[in-house]
Amino acid sequence: MRPERIVAALLLALGAVAAAQEQPPLTHGLTAVEPYPAPELVLEDMDDDAVDLASLRGNVVVINFWATWCPPCRREMPSLERMHQAIGAQGVSVLAVNVGEDFETVFGFLGAVDPSPTFPVLFDRDGAALQRWGVRGLPTTFIVDPAGRVVARAIGGREFDHPELMQRLSALAGN
Amino acid sequence: MSRAAVKSLLPILLFALAGAAHAAQGESVHPDTGARTWTTAAHGVTFSLTQILPDQARAFYLNRGFGVKATEVYATACVFMTILRNDAAPGVLHYELDDWGVMHEAGERPPLSFDYWNERLAAFDLSDPALLAFRWAQFPPSQSYQPGGDWNQGMLTSGLASGERFDIVARWRVGGRDYEATLEGVTRAS
Repeated sequence: MRPERIVAALLLALGAVAAAQEQPPLTHGLTAVEPYPAPELVLEDMDDDAVDLASLRGNVVVINFWATWCPPCRREMPSLERMHQAIGAQGVSVLAVNVGEDFETVFGFLGAVDPSPTFPVLFDRDGAALQRWGVRGLPTTFIVDPAGRVVARAIGGREFDHPELMQRLSALAGN
Repeated sequence: MSRAAVKSLLPILLFALAGAAHAAQGESVHPDTGARTWTTAAHGVTFSLTQILPDQARAFYLNRGFGVKATEVYATACVFMTILRNDAAPGVLHYELDDWGVMHEAGERPPLSFDYWNERLAAFDLSDPALLAFRWAQFPPSQSYQPGGDWNQGMLTSGLASGERFDIVARWRVGGRDYEATLEGVTRAS
């Protein structure tokens, strides 16, 4: 490599470190986990109708635990909707599980998200689902395969509409 | 760029980059709130603390069902927004908050734990939704992060008095080896 290019690369690397100190970027990685049966998830949605994860068997399901007061949850929410719009019809569903907040708070927040989520938003009012799924911090996202097994996980905010991430989910759905 | 200039720059840049990879500490001030952020990157992990101003903490908890007294106890306990992120550690990172150290004049002790706050807040008869919001707004007491970007952001309290400066050491394990990163000269928001 020419010396000038080495210098340029080093400057870029230093710049990247500096940028990381300002605001952590959202990455698009998912951690594969040894597949295990998805825990039960039956919660009410915004219309007070019960939604059962089991009813989505055959789809890939992206289950995102979040809260309106959680900064990385807020950051990643628009990308969840963009992903939903892009590959939802390919057998990839999204369930966003809000932790401990009321309808008015969640409704007000969703109205301000651009694009506003069109996927089901469920209410884990007592945090029981959070505990059952082994969540330790928000946001945490689980990927459930068409056979109903948890196959991947992401702790912390992600860029869900990144092409590589969407391709991975789409492939998992059999596309 | 001449070869001579490149030759003179290379050692400086390599030294700077090596330092950045292991223990570069940055400090910035939010232009609107004045809140300070301290950040370091070491062993492939980013660690940062941002001051949460007492009024910000008050607004957060009053809006989540805390009473005035309970809010005041927490908001004045030296609160920081904390980020730990596994960007490129050599494997899965695991930490226990009890292993971390807040170092100041009186010595070293861990940050105030969730259990501590759970006991302290029991006196205020808070509602379940308020306690639920509190629990999940805190930086997780323990966690495992995969490399490639697993991370959390949450509130952490040092419990120090206003004006005290301290260093904070984040400690974690990867593959049986211990690592740490230190933020020096952190101060509480007033």
